[in-house]
Amino acid sequence: MAKKITGYIKLQIPAGKANPSPPVGPALGQKGVNIMEFCKQFNAKTSGQEGLIIPVVITVFSDKSFTFITKTPPAAVLLKKAAKIEKGSAESNKIKVGKVSKTQVEEIAKLKMPDLNANDVEHAMSMVAGTARSMGITVDE
Amino acid sequence: MKNYFEVIIDTDPFNPEELSGLLWELNPLGIVENDDALVISFDADESIDQTVKDFLQELVEKKVINSFSYSINEIEEKNWNEEWEKNLKVIKVTDKIVIKPSFREYSPSEGEIVITIDPKMSFGTGEHQTTKLMLSMCEKHIEKKTKVLDVGTGTGVLAIASVMLGADYALGIDNDEWCYENALENIDQNHVYGKVEFRLAEVGNISEHDFDCLLANIQKDVLLIIAKDIVSKVKAGGKVILSGLLYTDEADICDCYTQLGLSLSDKMQLDEWIALVFKK
Repeated sequence: MAKKITGYIKLQIPAGKANPSPPVGPALGQKGVNIMEFCKQFNAKTSGQEGLIIPVVITVFSDKSFTFITKTPPAAVLLKKAAKIEKGSAESNKIKVGKVSKTQVEEIAKLKMPDLNANDVEHAMSMVAGTARSMGITVDE
Repeated sequence: MKNYFEVIIDTDPFNPEELSGLLWELNPLGIVENDDALVISFDADESIDQTVKDFLQELVEKKVINSFSYSINEIEEKNWNEEWEKNLKVIKVTDKIVIKPSFREYSPSEGEIVITIDPKMSFGTGEHQTTKLMLSMCEKHIEKKTKVLDVGTGTGVLAIASVMLGADYALGIDNDEWCYENALENIDQNHVYGKVEFRLAEVGNISEHDFDCLLANIQKDVLLIIAKDIVSKVKAGGKVILSGLLYTDEADICDCYTQLGLSLSDKMQLDEWIALVFKK
C-alpha cells in the first residue's frame, strides 16, 4: 500500500551545503524528518553544482520517511552566473551592472520551462528578461 | 548557542520564483517557500531589519512588486532533530554490529558489539546506507592494535566502532562544533575513554601522519578537496576507506586518489551508495 503523504517542504539552499542550521533544521525538524539524512542525500546529489542555488521539494510521509526532487535554480541566480556578476543593481533603472545575450536568455528560459508558469518559450523568455531588467542586467539583441 | 533571524515576507503580487531569486542578493542561509509567504533565514545580524526593508522598497520602486509586509523572529539554535530522535530504534547494522539509542534496551548475543549513539543533529546513526557500508568495511578491514583517524566523525560512531573492533586508538575529527560536543557525549555512552579522542579540527590541522586506517564518510566534492591531506595522514601500507559517495562518483574519486599513489582494493555498494577502500 502506498504511504500516506503528510506534507511538502519547499526549500532553496546552496548546492552541496545543506546543514542543520536554519532553514533546513527547523523546517524538517518540525515534521519529524531526519535532518542529517536529508543533508547527506542533498549534498551528495548536488555535489559538483557549487555556487548554484537549488530549489528542492521534500515529500514527507506518515512514517516520517521522505523523498525529494531538485528543481532548476531561480532565474535571477542563473542570470547573475550568465552575466558573470556577483550582485544585481540597487538602482536598475539608472545603473546597469552587466549584460546577457538573447541566446543566454533563451537558454535560461528553456532550462526554467518546467518550473515556470509560462505558456511557451517566448513567454518564459519575456519573464526571464523582466527579471534581468529588475536586476540591472541588459539583454543584448 | 548560535542565534539566527527568520524573516517572513509577503508581497503583492506574490511570485515566489522571481522574489526568491532576487532575495538571494541578500546572501541568506536559505529560503522556505510557503503558500503565502517566503521565510528567509540569516545569521543573527542587527542590521537585517533595515536591509530587508530597503531591499523590498527598491522592488516597489522597480515595480517588481506593488507592496510588501514582513516580520522578523529571532531563533536560538537547538536540537531540531529531537522529534525524529524519539522514533530511533535498535539497528542491527551487520551480523556483529548493533547501534542503539540510550533510551532503548538491547541484550546482545555472543560476539555482538553494541554501540550506543544519541545523535542529536550529527550524522551517523546506522540508519543511512553510507554508515552501514562504512561499518561493514570497518569490520572487514580494521586490524587489531592499529591507529585509526575518522574524518568528519559526526556522532563519532565509526571511531567508537573502530576501537570496539580491536583498534588501539581512534581519533575522530569534525569541523562542526555541534558534532564535536555530540561525539564527546557518545564517548561517555560507550565507556571508551582513553582509546577514542575527538577534536574540533580540519584534517589539514592534524599533525600525526602515522594512521593505519583513515575513515571518511563525507561527500564527493569535499573528499576531492581534502584528498592530499587525507593521503598524507596514512602511513605506507595503510588503508583509506571512503563513503558518502553515489555510484556515479566512483570514477572521479578513483582518478583523484590513484593519482595520489593509492590503489583501489575493495568496494561495496548498497542501493545507490558506495564505499571504496584504497591502499597506500
